[in-house]
Amino acid sequence: MKNPFERFKSYSSRRKEIPLDSIIKSKDMVIDKLVAGYEKVVEEEVKSLVWVVERGRLMEAYSEAEEAIADIDYKAEDIEELCYELDGNERLPYLITGPAGIYISALCNHAGENEITLKLGELRRKMHMIGYRLPSKKRLIIEGDMGNFVGSHLDGGELILEGSARDWAGAGMRKGKITIKKYAGYHTAEWMIDGEIRVDGRIRGIGKVVNGKIFEMGKPVYPSSNHLSSGNDSFR
Amino acid sequence: MNSQKKVKKIYEFIRDNLYFNRPDIEIKGERFNSTMLLAIITGLNRGKALIIGEPGLGKTTSAEYACSLLYQYPLGIIWSSEVSGHPEQTEEKIVGRPDLGKLNRGIEEVVWSNFSQLPVKIVDEINRLPETKQSMILDGIDRGNWEYLNRIIINEEYCLFATANYQDKGTNTIIAPLVDRFDVVVESKHPGPSLSFMISDNNKENMLRNPLYEKKLEKVLKTKMPYEEKLPQIEEICDQLGDHFKKELGVEALGHQERRRIESEIHKLEFDMDAGAFTIMLIAELSFCYKYGQKRSDEGCDEGCHYTGYLCHDVKNCASNRLPSSIKKYSQAIAWLLGNSNIDIEIVRAIIPYTIAHRIQWKEDFISKREKNRRADSLQIYLAKEAVDEVFHRYGEQKENIKHAFSVGFRILNGEDLEPIEGDHPVYAEIKNDLNYLGDV
Repeated sequence: MKNPFERFKSYSSRRKEIPLDSIIKSKDMVIDKLVAGYEKVVEEEVKSLVWVVERGRLMEAYSEAEEAIADIDYKAEDIEELCYELDGNERLPYLITGPAGIYISALCNHAGENEITLKLGELRRKMHMIGYRLPSKKRLIIEGDMGNFVGSHLDGGELILEGSARDWAGAGMRKGKITIKKYAGYHTAEWMIDGEIRVDGRIRGIGKVVNGKIFEMGKPVYPSSNHLSSGNDSFR
Repeated sequence: MNSQKKVKKIYEFIRDNLYFNRPDIEIKGERFNSTMLLAIITGLNRGKALIIGEPGLGKTTSAEYACSLLYQYPLGIIWSSEVSGHPEQTEEKIVGRPDLGKLNRGIEEVVWSNFSQLPVKIVDEINRLPETKQSMILDGIDRGNWEYLNRIIINEEYCLFATANYQDKGTNTIIAPLVDRFDVVVESKHPGPSLSFMISDNNKENMLRNPLYEKKLEKVLKTKMPYEEKLPQIEEICDQLGDHFKKELGVEALGHQERRRIESEIHKLEFDMDAGAFTIMLIAELSFCYKYGQKRSDEGCDEGCHYTGYLCHDVKNCASNRLPSSIKKYSQAIAWLLGNSNIDIEIVRAIIPYTIAHRIQWKEDFISKREKNRRADSLQIYLAKEAVDEVFHRYGEQKENIKHAFSVGFRILNGEDLEPIEGDHPVYAEIKNDLNYLGDV
């Protein structure tokens, strides 16, 4: 029988590249580099099999993240895309939401832009540690609900969470401002040194606060004469 | 003057003197009236055209004028050969009747009708013929063979025009097998009030009438000699009339030899790669069904089918094998007329709507979304143009990948160890089907 594709035998697949192709290609390259950096960080972190949040460990993971991203030229929009890549890509073996959050935080903290908006409402998993060590003059706006340790060790930046945070929001924050538009969980502001946390909804429990200001539904709850026993992880 | 110029002059002569209408189609920068253009292409390339439109808007006359000049027949003879569609129409009036004088003497002879003898065949208001009588002309149309009383005449050269009014109390449905035999459908539109008003000033039909030649031709056609022997005599008279047209009207008609030469030139033209790939892509959308192997009129689409975004989801029936022939036949002729060395995608894109408009049965949903849109064409032609534009858009996005998929398909069938190219279009699935079934080519 005659080959039905005969008329295409002389076709050589020199694919014409349109500008969009090169944009997509360069974007894919950036995301690939960011994913590779994350995998490098995670490889170090999974050696102990259980990832434990402790100050020394956080510092170490954060330094590794900073090192991994040092040579990557990325934009704020790439960070959002990476979040979805980490969340949705089944081939990534180590999506551990803690180190992922540290890695994302490092990217935000070192991004060229001073104001970053991440629309993360569609993530299937809740990311922890988002906003870790957010420095002064940086404004990070997150859309969607987040996991534990949102804005922990905040370092002068402004974090706005258009959603709810789980436990330990603002833990160990030094200065800056955290606004949570919905609810916050237990141990909120644990070891908070200074700064301000505003939660528009309810706070399930405030942790041991050293200093700073905390507002719940527009009303100051710390420092306040009638706030429920800070330091006892009060149930509210 | 070369043949393309001659044919264009014929088009211009009809446009300027006989059939006044607005241009409504542009191909490669040249503007034409689609009815007149397709009438000429049909006459040139043994086509079959269905001309639709409101009564009195020139459906029949457009075909008559084109054929008169392309075949050098006077209008009177063309009129005498026309079959008019009405419920009492009989085979004897359409094809031929017994020679009653000889029948009385026990001899069976057939007196062939002018319709069966002339290369120009016009069926006026075909949808007024009852459906059973429409099938009577199927064989003749398809093969150029006309049979009566076990006698047969074969038309080596012929074209068919049928006109149809929009549905009213007196019309019937044109049966599906007959509809599919038409290569194209075109609408003869209202020319607009100004051109319409000009028509009243013109005593135009007399231009193409000539009682002398009409009598001569009628005499030969009625002669009881074998059809094959009549043809050279008819040709001779037609050539004389052609000379008369040239002298009196300044327009050169086409003789038999020239028509044959044009036809052979037309048939040499091939699709270029894009035109071929685009046409295959369109046929894939009009025939593909992921679940049931192909489109069938009695099978619907499943909810949530992956291919809901393609035409296969919008059509009820399957594209017939006559569709690609029609596309090629008309695209070749247009390419020839425009002086192209091959058929490119612009030509194919312009022609395809006229080749699918009558063949495709759209689903209600597809129609209801578009029927109230502002448009210049009849609904069926408009829907076809919309569909072709959709596929053209998709082709623009995927053309390199599609051509690559075809070329890889070619190489796989030639024995190379390659994987078929993946893509999101029925055509990729069809390529894989070809590779599965034709693997031992």
